Amino acid sequence: MKTKLMGLGILLVVILAAVLYAVLGGGQETIEITGYVGGEKIGLLEDQDVQAILEERYHLSLDYAKAGSIEMVTDDPEGQDYLFPSNQTALEIYEQNYGSPVKSEIVLNTPIVLYTRRAVADALLSQGIVRQEGDVLYVDMNQLTQCVEEGTTWAELGLPQLYGSVTVGTTDPTKSNSGNMFAGLLANTLCGGVADASNLDQILPRLEAIFQKLGYMESSSSDLFDQFLKTGMGAKPLIAGYESQLLEFAVQNPETWEQVKEDILMLYPTPTVWSSHVYIALDEEGTAGIDALLDEEVQRLAWEKHGFRTGLYDAPSSIEQFGVPGVAQEITQVAPMPDAATMEEIIDALR
Amino acid sequence: MKRKRIGRAWIACLLFACLFLCACGSGEENGSREADTVLGSGHAVLRILSGSENQELEPILEEFAEEENIRIEMTYQGSLDIMRTLGAEEIPYDAVWPASSLWLNVGDTEHRVKHAESVSITPVVFGIRQSLAEELGFVGKEVSVGDLLEAIRSGRLRFCMTSATQSNSGASAYIGFLYALLGNPDMITEADLQDPQLQEEMREFLAGVDRSSGSSDWLKDLFLEGGYDAMVNYECLILSANQELERRGEEPLYVVYPYDGLSLADSPLGYVDQGDEEAEEAFLSLQEYLLSADTQDAIQRTGRRSSYTGISEANREVFREDWGVQPDRVLSPFRMPEADVLFECLNLYQTNFRKPSLSVYCLDYSGSMSGEGNEQLVKAMEQLLIQENAARNFLQASQNEVNILIPFDDEVMGVYTAEGNGEELEKLYEIVEEEDIGGGTDMYAAAEAGLRELENYDLSQYTPAIILLTDGQSGGSYRDFASAWESLGADVPVFSIMFGDADPEQLEEVADRTRARVFDGREDLTGAFRSVKGYN
Repeated sequence: MKTKLMGLGILLVVILAAVLYAVLGGGQETIEITGYVGGEKIGLLEDQDVQAILEERYHLSLDYAKAGSIEMVTDDPEGQDYLFPSNQTALEIYEQNYGSPVKSEIVLNTPIVLYTRRAVADALLSQGIVRQEGDVLYVDMNQLTQCVEEGTTWAELGLPQLYGSVTVGTTDPTKSNSGNMFAGLLANTLCGGVADASNLDQILPRLEAIFQKLGYMESSSSDLFDQFLKTGMGAKPLIAGYESQLLEFAVQNPETWEQVKEDILMLYPTPTVWSSHVYIALDEEGTAGIDALLDEEVQRLAWEKHGFRTGLYDAPSSIEQFGVPGVAQEITQVAPMPDAATMEEIIDALR
Repeated sequence: MKRKRIGRAWIACLLFACLFLCACGSGEENGSREADTVLGSGHAVLRILSGSENQELEPILEEFAEEENIRIEMTYQGSLDIMRTLGAEEIPYDAVWPASSLWLNVGDTEHRVKHAESVSITPVVFGIRQSLAEELGFVGKEVSVGDLLEAIRSGRLRFCMTSATQSNSGASAYIGFLYALLGNPDMITEADLQDPQLQEEMREFLAGVDRSSGSSDWLKDLFLEGGYDAMVNYECLILSANQELERRGEEPLYVVYPYDGLSLADSPLGYVDQGDEEAEEAFLSLQEYLLSADTQDAIQRTGRRSSYTGISEANREVFREDWGVQPDRVLSPFRMPEADVLFECLNLYQTNFRKPSLSVYCLDYSGSMSGEGNEQLVKAMEQLLIQENAARNFLQASQNEVNILIPFDDEVMGVYTAEGNGEELEKLYEIVEEEDIGGGTDMYAAAEAGLRELENYDLSQYTPAIILLTDGQSGGSYRDFASAWESLGADVPVFSIMFGDADPEQLEEVADRTRARVFDGREDLTGAFRSVKGYN
């Protein structure tokens, strides 16, 4: 009798525990955090394999709204758990505006590259603005910048089917990272080193003139890249973007890539700059995102499916898997970005 | 931060809550206008605010709606109106589909648009009656905007375009004209716009506009009603106009791509994130469908340049080269100015450059308008006549425009004229406010009085229109009105805004006769007035 009662008691306790476990969730609780993310990382965050790892191992779900890297650290980030801009300048600007965040860490890296079409690349090759090493194309930033500043027309480069003068399409450098970093790269090119307070006065008017020609600019790198692919050579002959964008596109859309791969080319500026995607946690809940994104398998997926280099310099694994010709194994010619104070002056001048 | 608990009991609660919320339905909240077209009859709803050029894709959307059991509610607006809707606090739509990503980008200040992707591409071009295009020497050669300007200046080419402050095709074409008149600089600056010579030339140029409209698809319809030589519109809409012209055995339009004034519409469809997961899922499945190879092919068959690899062999028969279409042309557009300069361009268009409008407002003060009807009318007119309000929607009056107010019941109660955009205009508002209400309804008599007023003006110097607001069955004589319209001998549209218990048949009859349109003011009277203004 006693054992029966005890058995019943145990059963009751077990049921109660099970109910409590189910209701309170125990270790199963999934926390959803929300933040602003640069458009180029949305493919990664929407990746179901990545989401499954975040959910199973970290009980985390990352909700997001798309925003430009500069915009997200200058606008009011209230109500967000994290920000995920695409460079360290954004972090520094955040720190100046709002003080130290709860935590921050570089999670992904990718170099700034230019994208173009076969016909344009051929014209640039024959002008000596682009040179080829193996199957990798490198663009000489000095010569290219000179063309842009002098107002050389596409027709003068042998492309009469393109209207107007040579420019590099970028996102709005006052809002979005890829445009902002390209502005930094141009500033470096114009001063022949790394732009800083000592040479800024000479550079700024020239930089303004270059960007003034662009007029309206997209505020998101992913929109610009989508338009580059869809509106064709006439609308966007040459744009600045991230290396990861084409690698991701090729992996995610293998059939489309097969059709267009002859025509679409990646040019590595010499020197280029690294876009370091830094995760900024704004509250305690937000910090969980750092560990989750640094998970070894998430990092592997970030490279293999989305084209983000995770360490600097060497590719984490074979570049062949992407089926994209002309990807550099190593990114060796890299200059540092101008510091945050300099970049802020550049942003102010271009606003 | 939100917490999701993954316990079974909790899931059951969530499911229940979902069912409960779904049962309560969406749809009727926060003043969304009634949709223009509803496709499919599914339970899940996707409300899309779209440029009118996408009306042609309705059969493609309908197939999806029926297959997936999702009801698609399409509401059509000009792209600039869509931009303004995106800036509002509440957006009563789940997705937006303007003609160009420019407006989406500039409008989405709160970052609520997600998953936006271009669905197809089409350039803004000139479509000119084939024989006239030949006569002008535009066939088989590269044409600049300057060549077109020359033909317009000499009076040999008159054309229709949409309003640059309401519709993307009109705005794009207008910016192209500005570039050409400025001698094709790298970029238009604010200083350029203040140049008196430019201003004079632009006014002269826009005087060649026969008719304006608030949306591209309606411009095509207007064109098909006949009597016009050319229109600026999307390549895809010129193609569909040509298909209709050919069916009727009429002369088709020849497509001219001004090489220094070309712009592209990239037709982005984006989700408006307001936390509704069901709508997001429906959106993503629609997007996947639209971007799938089969649907892209079907979209290409409507004359849109879809897909990454250009026009397929099978679809070349749609892009007919004998109509001047160049399927393999590298479409190389000019660059749009940055937002501040762009808005300055649009302001100048509205207040200074466009042909001044000559609008006659015939407003119903019959007994049935008393109370709420009259209140709404006064509020709507406040948005138009008080310039501070009008400026918010790019509806400001220009310096030389004329506004005439004719209040009526069963007879004309008075005629009040305001010239320019100053004090006289705001005085009209006082009259709108103070007029007495009572009596029957005779809109025909009021419209006739309006036509008589127009006789006092040189109509070639204005974009004239009569705008009729009425809320009931009208007495009087349609025939007398029609013969008065005929004897004026000018292309004056008589638009009407349907209100209260107005008789749609009576209004349609007037609209058809005068190549105009009926707007529904029952849901949103201010919106209806705004739409009408896009047409003049």
